[in-house]
Amino acid sequence: MSNTLKGAAAIVGVGTAGLGEAPGFNAMDIQALAVRAALEDAGLSLADVDGLFCANMSHTFPAISTIEYLGIAPRWIDGTNTGGSSFVAHAMSAAMALQAGLCDVALICYGATMRTGAGRMVPAAEQPTYEIPHQPRYPMTAYAMAAARHMAQFGTTREHLAEVALAARAWAQLNPDAFERGDLTMEDVLSSRMVLEPLTLRDCCLLTDGAGAVVMTRPDRARDLAQKPAYFLGGGVASYNRAISEMPDLTTTAAKDSGARAYAMAGLGPADMNVLQLYDAFTINVILFLEDLGFCPKGEGGAFVSGGHIAPGGGLPVNTNGGGLSFTHPGMYGIFTLIEATRQLRGEAGARQIPDAETVLCHGNGITLSHQATAILGSENTL
Amino acid sequence: MTASPDRPGPPPTGPDQQFQAHVADGRLWLQTCQDCGSAIFMPRILCPHCHSLSLQWAPASGLGTVYTRSVLHRRPKPGDDRPTEHAIILVDLDEGPRIMSRLPDTPAADIRIGMRVRARIAGEDGARVVLFDPEESKT
Ligand SMILES: [Zn+2]
Repeated sequence: MSNTLKGAAAIVGVGTAGLGEAPGFNAMDIQALAVRAALEDAGLSLADVDGLFCANMSHTFPAISTIEYLGIAPRWIDGTNTGGSSFVAHAMSAAMALQAGLCDVALICYGATMRTGAGRMVPAAEQPTYEIPHQPRYPMTAYAMAAARHMAQFGTTREHLAEVALAARAWAQLNPDAFERGDLTMEDVLSSRMVLEPLTLRDCCLLTDGAGAVVMTRPDRARDLAQKPAYFLGGGVASYNRAISEMPDLTTTAAKDSGARAYAMAGLGPADMNVLQLYDAFTINVILFLEDLGFCPKGEGGAFVSGGHIAPGGGLPVNTNGGGLSFTHPGMYGIFTLIEATRQLRGEAGARQIPDAETVLCHGNGITLSHQATAILGSENTL
Repeated sequence: MTASPDRPGPPPTGPDQQFQAHVADGRLWLQTCQDCGSAIFMPRILCPHCHSLSLQWAPASGLGTVYTRSVLHRRPKPGDDRPTEHAIILVDLDEGPRIMSRLPDTPAADIRIGMRVRARIAGEDGARVVLFDPEESKT
């Protein structure tokens, strides 16, 4: 059977709410505002939504609580929770459900208020039994271990990691919605407080409030709606392990497989991608994903990001909104890769717009390098 | 395995209980797959390599190599007398599996990726864990 999801669905509406700080509101409140914004963007209403895709860390049954709060009764419900990658994977599941006729208007949404306290960073209910006695600090310990191994094996340096943080900040300075927009220098990153060696404070993502929502429909309906559709061209997911100690090779993530699956479905390769949105919970993530998704050979990610190559004006635009490092990071970030990709494809990204962007690769990472999801979006020309 | 004098009560049954019972008795033992020969950690009911149910416990050498490390730098706080550095390692056991642990008597700065280490069982009754020491220092 061939890959028939290419062009099966399109993102027709995106919205955000409560980015940064939303004091006094809870996760469901700001999620509802993001949902309203996304539907308004599409020219649709909550009454049109008949498919729901949702995950979070604050609710045991996120999709069900969301249905109750929004007052909707969807006929297709997918609460698959693979961590921060969930929403990129949901884009593929939504394309599948739309194609199968299980729903006509798919809503993907997320909200959290981890910064102002109505929901703090909640540890997962179940933690790896044989890691906990050694008092790791999740999720940072896992990423620090991947960074240390990458440095030892390939000669990656703290300067290489810092380049990722500098690029993110330079993009954030072009995004009025970004949480951190102040000037940042190489010296600032290298001299910031060591948190989990080899990662400093500036190698770690923000912890903000924030909500995001994405609306998808089939192409026939998408063409009649308010916005230029961002078509789903290909997707893939992959996972081998939950615990970091169970990961076969800490320098090669399952993005290698999720990416290959997405490229195969889209009939495209790394060289065809105009813009990248890579889940940057930590600076090392971007280096790992650039390698695993085929933008440079394994071990050369550090050299690849050097000299501002992924920053504004560089050779390959990565995380044009400022990413989890400087734009926003409310615990799970995946949905914001889809939102920024859509804005780039529509040509509405303002000062950070990549001219003539026709293809965007979105990549979500879940838990502690445990689950990887890739989705490729494109303009009508790419179908 | 049967109940031991240190460990009253019914004999351990599931893989987790059996691993922990060996550790409580001061031993690092691993499951070995009788079909493909793989040594297995974390403990499981089936082999993650060939999915066989034929697993048997066998003593591990305790020898391994540090695969990677991370060091938590705590901000000193009044009344908190824990060390300001907390190093955690992943060790590749010579038998194959990888395990998270610590080198509690080795300063963080001296923990090198690639260094040879040897397991020991430490801790109080009821909370014993597998820890490591540098193997070089014993030669
Ligand atoms: Zn086996």
